Amino acid sequence: MNAAVMVRGLHKAFGQKQVLRGVDLTIAKGELLGLVGPNGTGKSTLLRALIGLVQADAGAITVLGRDPRQASLAIRQHCCYLPGETGIYQQLTGAQFLHFALGFYPHHDQARRELLLRAFDLPLHQKVRSYSAGMKQKLALLATLIPDVDLYVLDEPDRALDASVRFCLREVLLAMKQQGKTILLSSHHLNEVEALADRLQFMLDGAFVATTELDAARAILRRRPRLRLRQGEALPSGARELQRDPNGTLVVETDGDPMAWIRSLPDGIVESAEIGIPRLEDLYQTLYASRPRGDA
Amino acid sequence: MIAGKTWRETRGMALAYLVILELLCAPVLLLWPDIYADLQRSTLFRSMPFDFAKRIFEGITDPKESAAYLSWCATMLFFRSTNLVATAAAVLFGTALFARERENHTFEFLLSRPVARGTILWQKFWPTALCVTIPIYLVNASAIFWSRCIDFDLPKWELFLASTHAAVFALCFLAATTWLSVRLRVQAHVAAAVGAFAILQIGIYLTQRIRQFSLFRLADYEWYSPILAGNTPAWQMFDPIRGHGFTTYLLAATGLFYALAWRDLRRAEP
Repeated sequence: MNAAVMVRGLHKAFGQKQVLRGVDLTIAKGELLGLVGPNGTGKSTLLRALIGLVQADAGAITVLGRDPRQASLAIRQHCCYLPGETGIYQQLTGAQFLHFALGFYPHHDQARRELLLRAFDLPLHQKVRSYSAGMKQKLALLATLIPDVDLYVLDEPDRALDASVRFCLREVLLAMKQQGKTILLSSHHLNEVEALADRLQFMLDGAFVATTELDAARAILRRRPRLRLRQGEALPSGARELQRDPNGTLVVETDGDPMAWIRSLPDGIVESAEIGIPRLEDLYQTLYASRPRGDA
Repeated sequence: MIAGKTWRETRGMALAYLVILELLCAPVLLLWPDIYADLQRSTLFRSMPFDFAKRIFEGITDPKESAAYLSWCATMLFFRSTNLVATAAAVLFGTALFARERENHTFEFLLSRPVARGTILWQKFWPTALCVTIPIYLVNASAIFWSRCIDFDLPKWELFLASTHAAVFALCFLAATTWLSVRLRVQAHVAAAVGAFAILQIGIYLTQRIRQFSLFRLADYEWYSPILAGNTPAWQMFDPIRGHGFTTYLLAATGLFYALAWRDLRRAEP
């Protein structure tokens, strides 16, 4: 069997709220799958179900050849999970926490350990309670990425991290992928996940968005450049304003090719323009708008 | 791993709890020769509204001073110190076991480690149980030394039996609190629930007509005094068939609460 993770028809509800609605997912061994979607859409619940932290109401899950409902412990012995909320014992020092967290796993990747410790440069002798949010996240990442296991399930690993650390994390994840590790990560940084992942799954309302729907939403967004006009300048003809951000950035829809329209603008009228880079929140809005009412 | 961490977290509080118990024990025992004379002259207890208080007074003013001293120890070491402090310590330690993990967002981290939930519960419970029970034995053992300072001897075996009953009583509270700590998400809610139960039990205890239904009836002066006096042998405490067996029932209740905690932890979701 070549699939590290196989999910079929997964349903989960918390009370009246249906969180997962028939999720199907297959992750091949050695694959890095990116999971993106708005908050509260079921990403974390899906990740928790994979390692047996929550019990699904219906559907089938196989992780590393085992069912988490029956063999959760066996799965966790070959899998490292980074929770979405950074839970670190405040009263311990960084070194004590790391010793505690890594003690559960018999095999560690020493090269990765050295690399991450050097790159993250944490004051491990200090109590965790004195750490910033970013430092806590780095510590949680060390505890998750140093063990040498087959599958890594990472819920927003880049949360609270600055750009340089995110870049380092990206390099480490790519190296792990080359080692044949299977990685499932959820994130809000669409562009970074896209650059990193072999495949991207977009989650909305407890189910994956079909590739065709996602492509259609992206095509719509590609026709909508974001631009910032100089003070006092009016929007030239050939485009209409769809949205104005508080910082003055306009989202416009052009009549024809947006790139040609931007090129046709008189010099000095535009301060900045962005095209072809769909922001995650724009993608959510477009997908929500394109869905029939009552479905969300 | 988890047991070591639990021990590191509780050892400071356990030491403070031991010191409090010792401070409650040593001075009152050393007061004995003077207080015996004072109490024999006093009429305060005779006017108290509670029957059990009158019986305590009769015990500690017994004409035979060695018998009166045993009643004094039963009242001070067990009915007052251990009941009060050990039960409070058991509740304090127990509330922190799982509800605090939830409050600090470390519950999900802990459950996602490659360790069985039963092991998590056990490795959190046994160091806490030792932190609650060992100070009871230590302080009551130290009572032998303090008694010798005032030329009295405490019976070692009977003291051990009474300490065991007190430890089991505290353990039962710890197990019940642990169960609630698994079920409830907020530490303060666990403390409030156990606190409300304890206040209700004290209220029942202070009401003469229904006093026998109070849980504290199993750990009061009338329970410990016969043990210290050698009138309640071990078999009577532990054997539910030939004796009353209430120490065994308390152990069984501890086991039941532990089993409930285990069942609920297995089902718990972060």
